[in-house]
Amino acid sequence: MEFFLDILPHILNGLTIGLLFALIALGFTLIVGVMELINLAHGSLFALGAYLALATMSYLGASGFTSPTIFQYSAALVVAPIGVAGVGMGLELGMRRTYGKDPLYGLLFTFGAALVIEEGIRQFWGSNDLYFPTPSFISGPIILGDLFYPKYRIFASIFAIIMIILLWFFIERTKVGAIIKAGAHDSEMVRALGINLTVLRAGVFALGTALAGIAGIILGPIWGVRPHMGVDAVIPAFLIVVVGGVGSFRGSVIAGIAVGLTSGITAYFAEDWSILSIYILLAVVLIVRQRGLFGKASSLDT
Amino acid sequence: MTFSKTHFRVLCLLLILVIFILSAGVIAQDDAEVTPIIIGFTSDASGQYANSGAMDRRGMMMAIEEFNANGGVLGRTIEWVHYDTETNPATGTRVAERMINQDGVSFMIGAVSSGVANAISQVAQENGVIYFNTNSSSPTESGENCHRTKFVWDGHGANFSQATVAGAVETYGSNWLLLTNDYVWGHDTSAATRELAEASGATIIDELLVPQGTRDFSSYLLTIQQAAPDVVAAAVGGDDLRALRIQVVDQGLDTQMAWINNQQDWPDVYGVPPFGLFGTTWYYDLDLPGVEDFVARYQEMYPDTSLRVPGNVFYNGYMATHTLLTVIEEVGTTNNHAIIEALEGRTFTAEERMQHDGAWIDAENHHVQQTIYLATANAEPQDEYDIYEIVSIVSPEDAMVRQDCTLESLEDTPVYEP
Amino acid sequence: MTQILSKFRTDFIKMGLVFIFLATVPLWIGRIGLYDYIALEILIWCIYAMGYNLALGYTGLPSFGHGAFFGIGAYAMAIYQFHFGGTSLWIGLSLSILAGIVFGAVTGGLVSHRRGIYFALLTIAFGQMFWFLAIKLRDVTKGEDGLLNLERLPVDFGFFSIDISSSNSLYYFSLVIFVIVVVLLWLLIHSNFGYVIRALKQNETRAQFLGYNVRFFKLISFTLSCAISALAGGLFALAQRSAFPDVMALHWSGIIVMMVIIGGGMVSFWGPVLGVMFYFITRDIVGGITEAWLMWFGAAFMAVIVFQPEGIAGMWGNLSKRFQRVNTKTKLEEPQEAQHEPV
Repeated sequence: MEFFLDILPHILNGLTIGLLFALIALGFTLIVGVMELINLAHGSLFALGAYLALATMSYLGASGFTSPTIFQYSAALVVAPIGVAGVGMGLELGMRRTYGKDPLYGLLFTFGAALVIEEGIRQFWGSNDLYFPTPSFISGPIILGDLFYPKYRIFASIFAIIMIILLWFFIERTKVGAIIKAGAHDSEMVRALGINLTVLRAGVFALGTALAGIAGIILGPIWGVRPHMGVDAVIPAFLIVVVGGVGSFRGSVIAGIAVGLTSGITAYFAEDWSILSIYILLAVVLIVRQRGLFGKASSLDT
Repeated sequence: MTFSKTHFRVLCLLLILVIFILSAGVIAQDDAEVTPIIIGFTSDASGQYANSGAMDRRGMMMAIEEFNANGGVLGRTIEWVHYDTETNPATGTRVAERMINQDGVSFMIGAVSSGVANAISQVAQENGVIYFNTNSSSPTESGENCHRTKFVWDGHGANFSQATVAGAVETYGSNWLLLTNDYVWGHDTSAATRELAEASGATIIDELLVPQGTRDFSSYLLTIQQAAPDVVAAAVGGDDLRALRIQVVDQGLDTQMAWINNQQDWPDVYGVPPFGLFGTTWYYDLDLPGVEDFVARYQEMYPDTSLRVPGNVFYNGYMATHTLLTVIEEVGTTNNHAIIEALEGRTFTAEERMQHDGAWIDAENHHVQQTIYLATANAEPQDEYDIYEIVSIVSPEDAMVRQDCTLESLEDTPVYEP
Repeated sequence: MTQILSKFRTDFIKMGLVFIFLATVPLWIGRIGLYDYIALEILIWCIYAMGYNLALGYTGLPSFGHGAFFGIGAYAMAIYQFHFGGTSLWIGLSLSILAGIVFGAVTGGLVSHRRGIYFALLTIAFGQMFWFLAIKLRDVTKGEDGLLNLERLPVDFGFFSIDISSSNSLYYFSLVIFVIVVVLLWLLIHSNFGYVIRALKQNETRAQFLGYNVRFFKLISFTLSCAISALAGGLFALAQRSAFPDVMALHWSGIIVMMVIIGGGMVSFWGPVLGVMFYFITRDIVGGITEAWLMWFGAAFMAVIVFQPEGIAGMWGNLSKRFQRVNTKTKLEEPQEAQHEPV
């Protein structure tokens, strides 16, 4: 009983870690699943989201965060992802020539983009670790049992759940979502039906990258904001997508939570191995189930 | 005969070869009559310690400017070169090689990351180039990684532990938990803390390892709360410390138990309220002669930096460079053996150091022994920069911790006279 | 033998020219504003890149975790010296190669049945795992701070030995290794084995239907590639006099991919060498001008991917072909080759 009470907070914390990871992976999953493209720039766009949010907030705050933070934060949450989506669409434009070829070229292109964006952030904003202030009603601790737990993490987890539900709803239950799914399945048919594939692709990419930016804004206050934060995000993101199965939205959500739980529970026993445990999970899953937990066959298999 | 594809290619190759050889003549440098003294700045400009690296350099540059305004040293102007060591030891090696073999530097100064410092000092020792490690504070810098050409200017982890631990056991309690950054500095510092704490009667109830680059401390903070120690001794640095600090303060844990943070560098602390008890080698608001003027000179030379007052990193960079140039002038030569001998055992007055005590360079391990200040967050700051409250001043004798060090002999050190 | 010599005459001429060119480098490297150590570094990375291209360019295995093997080779040499007090250069380098074979085979065994993107992702995961282990196993590797104070062991032939502690002498030793590796690679690529892996790069299914055990060939090719990279790593440990985990991280694994592709490794034998030189020279020359050089390099890489995936070697190939066509008196000498032309 004692043991259970001791480990319970870690399990719950692992759940929040998992939800945050799932949020990070959302945009990545969308692009992989729909466009069958591995977007390695996902991490840098994640970082860009956080930086644009800070820029928005300081612009609105003028003389240093004197206007209500909640207003600034909400504004940033809307404005910054739009900025990131803009960059994303620019990327998609550059990438068009690689569409017909080996998907490896797309991967390489986004790898280069990741580097360029990260270095660009470094040039523009410096290498400093920046502080991301949050509205007071979600800052500070909440007392659960006899432990202090940050309110912000709870907010972030709830936000992640909402985003996951919204995205699922959008993909599964709306007309645009159906078109997106169709485009993934059979792009020629979609074009034959009169839908503009170019616009569709650009739109999906914009949405996916905006999600990356949103994740950056949510994670920024917890992780701190620095140019290298993108790498901290992209590695778990692609691990989750591979574990969950390429092309499966459900897979990546479940995988995200699984990864978080693994990390959180390992942390209880041997905290310095919690990162490696994610990789071991990846290896085990891939050896047992070749395409990840819920993966479907896709052109990425070749 | 017909000009084929192969011929075209061979021609191109030959052309490139010819251009290379011709350009040799053009690019070959002329020797000036009086060569300047070139100092190589080996501080990071990217990666985890970029901020501190920039401050390190500013300190060095201010010292150089002051000397150049007075005619340089030994009648030669002082120039500097800098390449980004990227907080990466392999890059440090490459930068050191380049500085010595291509740019012909006379001395190398600067470090924040001990990994990089070690890499650089290896190359320096091979070539006989004197290297000043300004701000990296692993105890091994003057221990197993000491070199005849290397001098260490910062207090190291063990100094700060020595200064803080005994008093902390008495004040806060004897159940201690160690939070250790999983690399050399973290481990060496925690080892020193452990030894000192146990000698004062404390019990180490747990040690948690924090891999470098950890962003999410939630698991750690839960484990710490469940362990309920009296004191948490954290040997965590750089960006990891900033993330830790944000999360600890946000959760209100800084008031739940005592936190001992070893050394904190000014560029890391500024902007986010410090927490716990920590150490430093200098503070801009010390009530000592020369401090106010020093701060004013900084502000005049660097009107655009976001940190409007200098801190310990800037101070160490300045002090090291200033001392080097002073010694060169005193000794009358840039011969490395002569300078090394002059530096070993050199003493400084408190006034020279702008600290409460005089300092000296230990002849056996080349580590500068100096005053250690213990500070905590200032509850009543006088202005936006006054975030430290100095709670204790520890003399160098009391803070001294000796590492085992075997320096290479002077005979084994190549002569270098730039 | 004479048949081979005449058929691949241009290849051998090129090889000879490259070797002679490289042999002269230490003589003029200082004059063009660079320095000895960078020549050494470039040469070692060339060995690494040539080994890497066996997997990427010739077998079509996009490994994004090869830095791990380069690092493992470095650690093998370092651990040999540091923990076992080793003094034999030959044993040290052999250990590096052996480490590359062992770890390469294990990794290859687990990933080589995949292709394309999945293969790339798995190699990223393994690369990160090895990197993490290198940092974590502090007792063996001393973690982030690396194994330091290594020595450039002398080239010992028993009755006489050559000291290679200067950058130049180590450079010439590495050059000898480079020549051996390049010649062996060339022979491998032009052997039956080489034709099979080139075939399966083009179309794995077809090769399989022709009866080749593609998984076996991919595994062998991958392992050999790792072994060569590890050998380069061992030399690198000597050059740096230390071994660090940094080269094993994703960032550096990605850099070797970018180097090889920009150079034209996908279509050319010498592409990797061109790519390595382009990277290092950009780093030192552009890096002297701006701290944002990596951003420009990344941008150049993106441009290459979009406009010229055959890289520098491809550009040169296209240029010289165009020149050839301008001269109307020349008849078309060689038919268009689909994959690797001898640049």
